[in-house]
Formats: sequence, C-alpha cells, structure tokens
Amino acid sequence: MNVDRETRQGRLHYMTVTDAAHAIATKALSPVELMQAHLARIETLDPTLNAFIRRDGDAALAAAKVAEAEATAGRLRGPLHGIPVGIKDIIDVAGLPTTCHSKILDGNMATADAVCVAKLRAAGAIVVGKLSTHEFAIGGPSFDLPWPPARNPWNPDHHPGGSSSGSGSGVAAGLFPMALGTDTGGSVRNPASCCGIVGLKPTYGLVSRRGVFPLSFTLDHVGPMTRTVADNALMLEAIAGHDPLDPGSAAVPAGHYRAALDRGAKGLRIGFVRHFHETDMPAEPEVTAALEHVMRALQMLGADVRDIRLPSLVEFAAVNRVILQSEAWAIHGEWLRTRPGDYGSLARRRLLPGAFLGAGDYVTANKRRAEMIAAVNAALAEVDVLLCASSMDPACRIDRPADVERTYPRQARTPFNVTGHPALAMMSGLSSGGLPLSVQFVARNFDEAMLFRVARAWEKASGVDGKRPPIG
Amino acid sequence: MPRMDKEFVEALARRAGLDKALVEFPDDVAAAAEQAAGVMAKIKAPADPRAEPWPAMRAGDGL
Repeated sequence: MNVDRETRQGRLHYMTVTDAAHAIATKALSPVELMQAHLARIETLDPTLNAFIRRDGDAALAAAKVAEAEATAGRLRGPLHGIPVGIKDIIDVAGLPTTCHSKILDGNMATADAVCVAKLRAAGAIVVGKLSTHEFAIGGPSFDLPWPPARNPWNPDHHPGGSSSGSGSGVAAGLFPMALGTDTGGSVRNPASCCGIVGLKPTYGLVSRRGVFPLSFTLDHVGPMTRTVADNALMLEAIAGHDPLDPGSAAVPAGHYRAALDRGAKGLRIGFVRHFHETDMPAEPEVTAALEHVMRALQMLGADVRDIRLPSLVEFAAVNRVILQSEAWAIHGEWLRTRPGDYGSLARRRLLPGAFLGAGDYVTANKRRAEMIAAVNAALAEVDVLLCASSMDPACRIDRPADVERTYPRQARTPFNVTGHPALAMMSGLSSGGLPLSVQFVARNFDEAMLFRVARAWEKASGVDGKRPPIG
Repeated sequence: MPRMDKEFVEALARRAGLDKALVEFPDDVAAAAEQAAGVMAKIKAPADPRAEPWPAMRAGDGL
C-alpha cells in the first residue's frame, strides 16, 4: 500500500484503485482528501485534455464527505468505497444529461442510473462526471460538435483513441483512477492502447447494457478502464453479473476475477496471431517489435507460445461493419432522415451506409459470424489465451483528418466484438516519439480471470503500470 | 469497390427516406452508398445454403 509515498509526493491522483480502497478501508486515507486531489487535478488539466463533457465536482465532494463519515463509523459500502469514477457520456447517470457528445441529445436528462453505474455506486464508487466520447460512440474525433474532442495526455496534439476518449485520457492523466467505457468495434481497447492504460472488453453479456445508449445491439459491450490489471479485475467484479432485463445478458454470476492474478505465465499455452499485424494489416515496425518483445517475455516466464491462424482481419472488420451499420441504422434512421445536419460530419458519414445495406447483407454477415465464432473457439481449445496486436500504429495527430482516417481502421479489435470473446488491451511499450504502443490478449468466454493472469504477468515483468504521461 | 450509378443511389436513398440528406449532404450519401456496396465483397459468404446465422432462434428465451 503506497499511500505514504504517494502522499509525500503529492500524487494521490496516481494511487491505484486497489491501494486507495485499502487505505480508505484501514482509515489511512480520507475519501475527501482523495476526491479533493482528483478534483484539483481535473481543474488543472481538463482545460487541456477535454476529458469531461460535464463535471459533477460539488456532488462528488458531497458524496466523498458522506463516504468519509461512513468509513469513520466503520461502515464500508463495498470494495470501491470512496473511489472516484468517470462515466462515458453514453451511459446514464441519474440527474445528469446523457448527450452521447451530440447535438441530437443535448439536454437529454437521465432519470435513473444505468445498471453498471448503479453497481459501481453500490460498491462505494463516486461519480465525478460524464466523459467525452466520439459522437454516439462512432463519429470522432470531431471539431464540429457542441463539445471539443478529448486529447491524449502523452501528447495533447495527438488523438487519445476512441470512442471512450475521455475515459482513456482521464484515467491515464490521473483525473480519476477508473472509468467506464463501451466497446462495439474496439472503443474501450482503442483509448486504452493510445493512452497506455488497461482496457477490457468483457465477454458479451457479462456486464449489463441497460441504461447505455446503443450503437449496435449484438456488438455493444461495457468495460472497465484502469491504470493497472488488478484494478481492472476489481472494477469488473463490481459491474459483472446477470441482468434479467438486458436481453443480451448472460445467465452467469460475477466471478472472482483477481483469483489467478499472480499465478504468472508459467505453463500457459499462448497462441500468437501474427498474421493480423504481419500480413492482414501490416503494423508499424515499432508495434511489431513491441509485440515480439511481449511474446519473448512471456516465453521467458515459462509460457508455451505457438502461432495461431484465424480468419483474415480484413474480413472480421467487414463483418463487424455490416452488422454495426445495419443495427445502427435501425437506431439512427429516423434522426438521419429528419435531422441529418444535427450530426457531426464523421458520425453522419459512418452511420449513413446502414441505409444502403440490405437484409440479405445483414443475414450473410451473421452467417459468417457463426463461422468466425467457431474458428476462435477452436483456436482457444488448443491454447489458453491469444496474443495479438491491438492498434497497428501509435496515436496519430488529432488535427490531421487524413491520418485519423488512415489509422482508425488499422486495428485488431473488431474480431472479438464479432465473436464476443473477452479481450484486454494494455501498453506494450513506448514509441520513439514517446507515445504508448499496445498489445491485446483474448481468452475463452467468461474466462476473464485467465486474461487478467497473463496481463498481470506481462505488467509485472515489464513495469508498464509505472509509466506516466509527461503532463503535470 | 464498384461505382454506383447516381440515379440508382438517389432512388435507394429516397426509398430509405433520406430526401433531406440528399439535398443537404449529397456527397455523404453517395459515399455511404459506395461503402455499403464495397464492404460485402470482403465477406466470404458460407457456401452451404443451410448455414444458420448467429444467433439461432431460441423459443422461450425472450423477455
């Protein structure tokens, strides 16, 4: 527990969730002090980072005072008692607007918490505000919306990834130690990759989507974003579990995802999906070198690594796109007919193709999807976990639309939205330009504990959890 | 990617109710039609016509 060291250095904002929760539970840290440190950090850095659409500092501080009184009296609400959390602004928080970063929903007040938010509050977490996203989790980074796009704390001239942009930027910069994101084609794992944090897309159906504005019903996932693997597992324990009112919810209970955290990589069978980044979408050399480094480090720790082939990344991306745009058209069609000018340019252009896809296209994509699910299941019958690229490039400059357009689809995250398998992205190293590089791990359905085990082994061997952006 | 005839795109767009978008954002509508036409060429449709799409219908599992 690092409270003394972090306090002495004036860096309470970089305490992990695990350490802060322990310090609060043992009365070594006041929730008010922790919240004040984060609010001060937000005040200083958010004008540069634009992580927030709406801050809720006064309410957060009031909640921290209540949490402090409860902790003093020995009453802890749960394992996240007094921990600040940021919420992507497509997720409902009672009493705050859910704008989806769009003029279309400006002023759309949420009357109840999304299930994932309610679960975080029940565990003791305190909401600090609503976070920037790509418009409706698809159109960004955009400069033609009511709020500016979030920026990358490793270099504010660069894109923080999306669509959970504010979540990634804010966690990396120490504005809050954990955040909720959503992932339909990689939108938790992209900002995790660009900002050098840990982002998990859980197994489809493990976390309730009720109260989250949909982008694509069969591809949408809610996921935790944190600075460490252990924190991610802790946050998942709080938000996972069956919701009978979410039609996609799986009838499985939340697991104890920290159980295998420190078992190491010895004896694990790892499948390296090289063709994703070597031939399907050739990655930048630094990305490839970092992936090889991760692979060798896990081998050194005793893992058995072998090459695995899956369907082509290009085809995975096409299946994801047809399903996503078809389902999104069913959501956005009426607004695109009547209010096309109220969308930003990027969202409009990414949503309109759904109008031109036919029912046969959608069914064909879902037929191929069934085969792709079988292919990934077959691979995971041979190995315990897959290792592959997340992004093929470090984050590009945010003000160069051509670079954003070129790098945005160069990623290996969509396959696991199509198949529903759990996938985690985290830092693999830093580029020569000082920007995070990334790696992705994938496990069997509902085996998030395995994912955290291998991710923790890499984190421990590399020390990537100790790297901080050069901001403030 | 196949090029789509302008009149055909406009007819499809009108059928989808995108008259307003056609007037205000004709380039976006045309680009969307081209993108939709091109993406299916990247998918290997299962050869077996009996292949079921995902997910299968399951009676009794609904709300």
